[in-house]
Amino acid sequence: MASRLLRGAGALAAQALRARGPNGAAAVRSMASRGGVPSDDDQATGLEREIMLAARKGLDPYNILPPKGASGTKEDPNLVPSVTNKRIVGCICEEDNSTVIWFWLHKGEAQRCPSCGAYYKLVPHQLAH
Amino acid sequence: MTHQTHAYHMVNPSPWPLTGALSAFLLTSGLIMWFHFYYTLLLATGLLASAMTMFQWWRDVVREGTYQGHHTPPVQKGLRYGMVLFIISEIFFFAGFFWAFYHSSLAPTPQTGGHWPPTGILPLNPMEVPLLNTAVLLASGVTITWAHHSLMEANRKESAQALLMTIALGAYFTYLQMSEYSETSFTISDGIYGSTFFMATGFHGLHVIIGTTFLATCYIRQQMYHFTSSHHFGFEAAAWYWHFVDVVWLFLYISIYWWGS
Repeated sequence: MASRLLRGAGALAAQALRARGPNGAAAVRSMASRGGVPSDDDQATGLEREIMLAARKGLDPYNILPPKGASGTKEDPNLVPSVTNKRIVGCICEEDNSTVIWFWLHKGEAQRCPSCGAYYKLVPHQLAH
Repeated sequence: MTHQTHAYHMVNPSPWPLTGALSAFLLTSGLIMWFHFYYTLLLATGLLASAMTMFQWWRDVVREGTYQGHHTPPVQKGLRYGMVLFIISEIFFFAGFFWAFYHSSLAPTPQTGGHWPPTGILPLNPMEVPLLNTAVLLASGVTITWAHHSLMEANRKESAQALLMTIALGAYFTYLQMSEYSETSFTISDGIYGSTFFMATGFHGLHVIIGTTFLATCYIRQQMYHFTSSHHFGFEAAAWYWHFVDVVWLFLYISIYWWGS
């Protein structure tokens, strides 16, 4: 078990070394015009960079922001994405309510919040990548 | 391959929490062996083990954040909460020593001669080196703020200079305080005055050394281009810690050095 832990740390080292990108020259040039400190544009990487670029386009692929509520009627239910056949929903029935109504939402017909009756429908999703 | 659909960081298994716990055991048992039997090997091993744990653990955090991009906005928010909570815990730690000082100094017992400072204690003059120390730390608070603003304005040269100045002032404080320690006419075993004085100022001095080390690490990372003008939480954490150390000194100076003299 200890060797697995140490191997984990070693893998991190190897990844870190490989992560130094090939754009060194371009980054240095844009840094120089700024005063020598790189920007996130120059050097953000990995998930941080992905989220930064998506946010610029107004997208939120990693669900950082809370979901926007639909009207919750039978015709316009709150659509709840899920990678499996069910997902827990927490309904804040009225704004600023501190009691959150939690329930399992199953695939199939839309369900109603047991407290306020708002409609929720599960939308199965494939993981895109 | 399954990827996460959230912005958080699920950290890979790591041996450093275990080595940290083991080093804590070696440090505590090592202190006992040193205090009671003058035996230093356990303590030395513990110091080495804890230093290595800290170096490797924080090196991994830098790799995960700077080199691999795991420190997304929610992750950074969590790190901020963590640092704030840690500093609050340190505030409580010092509160204990200030409580001890005020408990004994506000109502001096017959054992002290009924007054504070106790009979026979010659306190340090608060208008001499302790006042200089106050100026040094206040100035270092200014220089680190300068360094931060320079960093945010992408000014590499000024940011590095201001950070270096902060480190120099921190080292100067430590040097001055060490020379003051050799100048006192009293020791830690000189009654309640000695105990409260050296416990409070001693732990403060240790925190100055820790803070200076943190700043020096930031300097090295800045030289290696780790910080960007908008993402440099390690630097901000070091700055918060440094301001905390400065504020504790101000309380020490006013309570122990000035009012208590």
